[in-house]
Amino acid sequence: MSASDATILIDEVPVPFAPGQTILEAALSGGVYIPHLCHHPEFEPHGSCKLCSVVVNGRNASACTMKAAAGQEVEVDIPDLHAYRRTLVQMLFVEGNHFCPGCEKSGNCQLQALAYDSEMMTPHFVEFYPRRPVDASHPEVLLDLNRCIQCELCVRASRDVDGKSVFALVGRGMASHIVVNSPTGRLGDTNLSAADKAAHVCPVGAILIKRVGFSTPIGERLYDLEPISEEATRCAVGAEK
Amino acid sequence: MLNLETAQSPHKLRRVAIEPVTRVEGHGKVTILLDDENRVHQVRLHIVEFRGFEIFIRGRPYWEVPVAVQRLCGICPVSHLLAATKAMDLIAGYGPLTPTAEKLRRLLHYGQIVQSHALHFFHLSSPDLLFGFESEVAKRNIIGVAAAFPDLARRGVMTRKFGQEVIRHIAGKRIHGTGVIPGGMNKALSRADRDSMRSAIDEIVDWSREAVGLVVRLHETNPGFYKTFGESRANMMGLVDKRGALDFYHGALRARDADGGAIFDQVDYATYQSVLQEDIKTWSYMKFPHIRTLGADKGWYRVGPLARVQICDVMPTPLAEAARRTFLRVDAGRPLHGALMYHWARMIEMLHAAEMARELLDDPDIVGTELMADKGPRREEAVGVIEAPRGTLFHHYRAGDDDLVTYCNLIVSTTNNNQAMNEAIRAVAARFLSGRELTEGLLNHIEVAIRAYDPCLSCATHALGQMPLEVDLVDAGGALVSRLRKG
Amino acid sequence: MSAPAETPALPKVRLATTSLAGCFGCHMSLLDIDERIFDLAAIAEFDRSPLTDIKHCGPCDIALIEGGVCNAENVHVLRELRANAKILVAVGACAINGGLPAMRNRLDVGDILNEVYRDADGVGSHVPSDPELPLLFDKVYPINEIVRVDYFIPGCPPSADAIWKYLNDLILGRMPRLDHDLLHYD
Repeated sequence: MSASDATILIDEVPVPFAPGQTILEAALSGGVYIPHLCHHPEFEPHGSCKLCSVVVNGRNASACTMKAAAGQEVEVDIPDLHAYRRTLVQMLFVEGNHFCPGCEKSGNCQLQALAYDSEMMTPHFVEFYPRRPVDASHPEVLLDLNRCIQCELCVRASRDVDGKSVFALVGRGMASHIVVNSPTGRLGDTNLSAADKAAHVCPVGAILIKRVGFSTPIGERLYDLEPISEEATRCAVGAEK
Repeated sequence: MLNLETAQSPHKLRRVAIEPVTRVEGHGKVTILLDDENRVHQVRLHIVEFRGFEIFIRGRPYWEVPVAVQRLCGICPVSHLLAATKAMDLIAGYGPLTPTAEKLRRLLHYGQIVQSHALHFFHLSSPDLLFGFESEVAKRNIIGVAAAFPDLARRGVMTRKFGQEVIRHIAGKRIHGTGVIPGGMNKALSRADRDSMRSAIDEIVDWSREAVGLVVRLHETNPGFYKTFGESRANMMGLVDKRGALDFYHGALRARDADGGAIFDQVDYATYQSVLQEDIKTWSYMKFPHIRTLGADKGWYRVGPLARVQICDVMPTPLAEAARRTFLRVDAGRPLHGALMYHWARMIEMLHAAEMARELLDDPDIVGTELMADKGPRREEAVGVIEAPRGTLFHHYRAGDDDLVTYCNLIVSTTNNNQAMNEAIRAVAARFLSGRELTEGLLNHIEVAIRAYDPCLSCATHALGQMPLEVDLVDAGGALVSRLRKG
Repeated sequence: MSAPAETPALPKVRLATTSLAGCFGCHMSLLDIDERIFDLAAIAEFDRSPLTDIKHCGPCDIALIEGGVCNAENVHVLRELRANAKILVAVGACAINGGLPAMRNRLDVGDILNEVYRDADGVGSHVPSDPELPLLFDKVYPINEIVRVDYFIPGCPPSADAIWKYLNDLILGRMPRLDHDLLHYD
């Protein structure tokens, strides 16, 4: 970090940024946690989940899409934003069938970890209990759309990293959903392989490698060991070095 | 003697309900129909809960089932976790478990039996036995026991705590853990955890012996009453190992009749549907299983401690076996059928589970690190059966090539006891209630009989399978003209 | 000068509990407070609860509700406790979001009943229909969709330490809160 690096203020603490970094990237590299779900360091920003919403010089913005600029005063850790993020997480929960007790992603799930971080004690809103399909046609990969939050990480990974475009988001509003790129619409009829990025990038339990569920004991899962606010910044700071 | 299941003319009778049945797990309701002289004409234990697990689990991947299905019950989740995983071991194609994996599962199961039996005796049943069935309602609970018998209450709590800690060390949580996975276990037991349990187990064995002693002393205050209260002569069923010894974790099916005569023995439990059949009645969500060859009227049976200690040839630990021999002499070697005898049998089992746990804690394999079996070809269908604290538990699954469950059938321990519990409460009603003014204390007598069976009523609303249709034709006076049965 | 008056003993906190369409695991987790139950007994007493023989709830301070609402009887019990309790707490996943029993919500309850109670011929069904059986609902509902709920303790079940922390906070008049190590949904 050279003396000429610019800084922004995040909750009144100066945080350096490199040219071209977004506020979120600068924050995470500097060890400051801003909650996020559809962001991935290897992909272009998506700006869909809105969990990274912050107040920048008095106006709301997505930290993942807004570039850091000298003189910004960013607020992250304020009660209004806590409540707002919690409401967003609650809406995500009631929209799908997020049954943590029976789900093998529990303890490694970013949605769950964010809910803990925002102290969600109840989903609050009326539960949808939607009917969502499960596609187990692939020999190695399970697709359980009960848990899909439409973050499009799988879409981006399959298209931009694997070069296969196995997944796409179709429909509008509440009817938007993931579909699979094969004549039958089934995952087993695509060229997805278990080694693909798209098979491992899902932050929740919607895309899972088969037959390995519950092999990590309780107490040793990712978010048993530390909350997501620490895990995310530790990874980001580690990546910087 | 009147058939107390169905009154001849129910519209002429007065209804009294015990609702809810308290100090049991789950929701049960007893209805009693009485005439103007308070004579009892009908007594029924209704199971009023319905889950539908066997249907909604279809379409879920098979490895998810044990962790989900254990949530049918918060007292005995380990039983479901183990029974379901025993089936999934086979469906996933795994061969025999490693010694460490099997011993960890057994230790987990024995820990569960200790906590469940302790809970049932100390927390749920002891108030009736220590204070009296008609004692003051405000005191007739674990807090009242703690006030009057603090040392006893403390021991009960600490015995249950020990069992729960065993579960936590192996499954990761005291209630609804993971730990057990198809093919083995997901975590080895650390030496520190093993040592912690080992240092506590001797006291638990001692306390379990004293719990047996306590039940014996209670029995001796009124032997005739204890022997015959809520008596219903029943066939008995449970698992025994190849030698005919009691084995909670694995074995084959044995059934004996009310006199101790053989009905069947060493039946492979995967063929359970060929020996058992389940009936439906209109007035309970819980089904009524019976032994096929004996028919619905004579084929109903009991499971759980009172059946297990009497049908096995031996309990393979010394202290429990000695206690069992004493128990068997109560009626000169004839099988015992009184509801309260369950408590004695249950404490013998708790002692046995504690002794078995001690043996495993002394076994070096228990801290071994080879946890997973070898894998072979997948199977489409499998059955997992275990002796849960409350009785024989059947889990039966089919899964497709895509790994999703296509079929599930459960016969849950308490379901096996459905008819036996109904018979017990009818016996109590006929002997203690009929012709008398009904008080809260008298109604509690009915509940005491139910409690003795340690029912787990949330679990028990499950089964799917072949069931006959029965139609009764009755005349205007309510008399049975003919009965049609199909299936 | 007269001697100072003796401070009268505080009345015991009255606790009611029930398990609606739950598995009883949250009650078992409450009992996992182990010997702390003797401390609790010093300052609290139980009203209606599966652990006591009080069949109907009177006025009480805190009601702990386990389980969601799956039938008419659950609603009656829930409303009885809400009417009598100053503070109502939803304990565990089933009370908070329906939990495992709510997995049936994506299916039609009539279809499920017909399937479970199918006859030997495989065509007809013999669903129990006695009036003594409470009416089943189309779905399993979280309790806050039926009554106003004051607090929620998540978990399946919440650990004994989480329940104990919450109870202590409520009884002692603090804002109830769970730290990261006590907040789990599974």
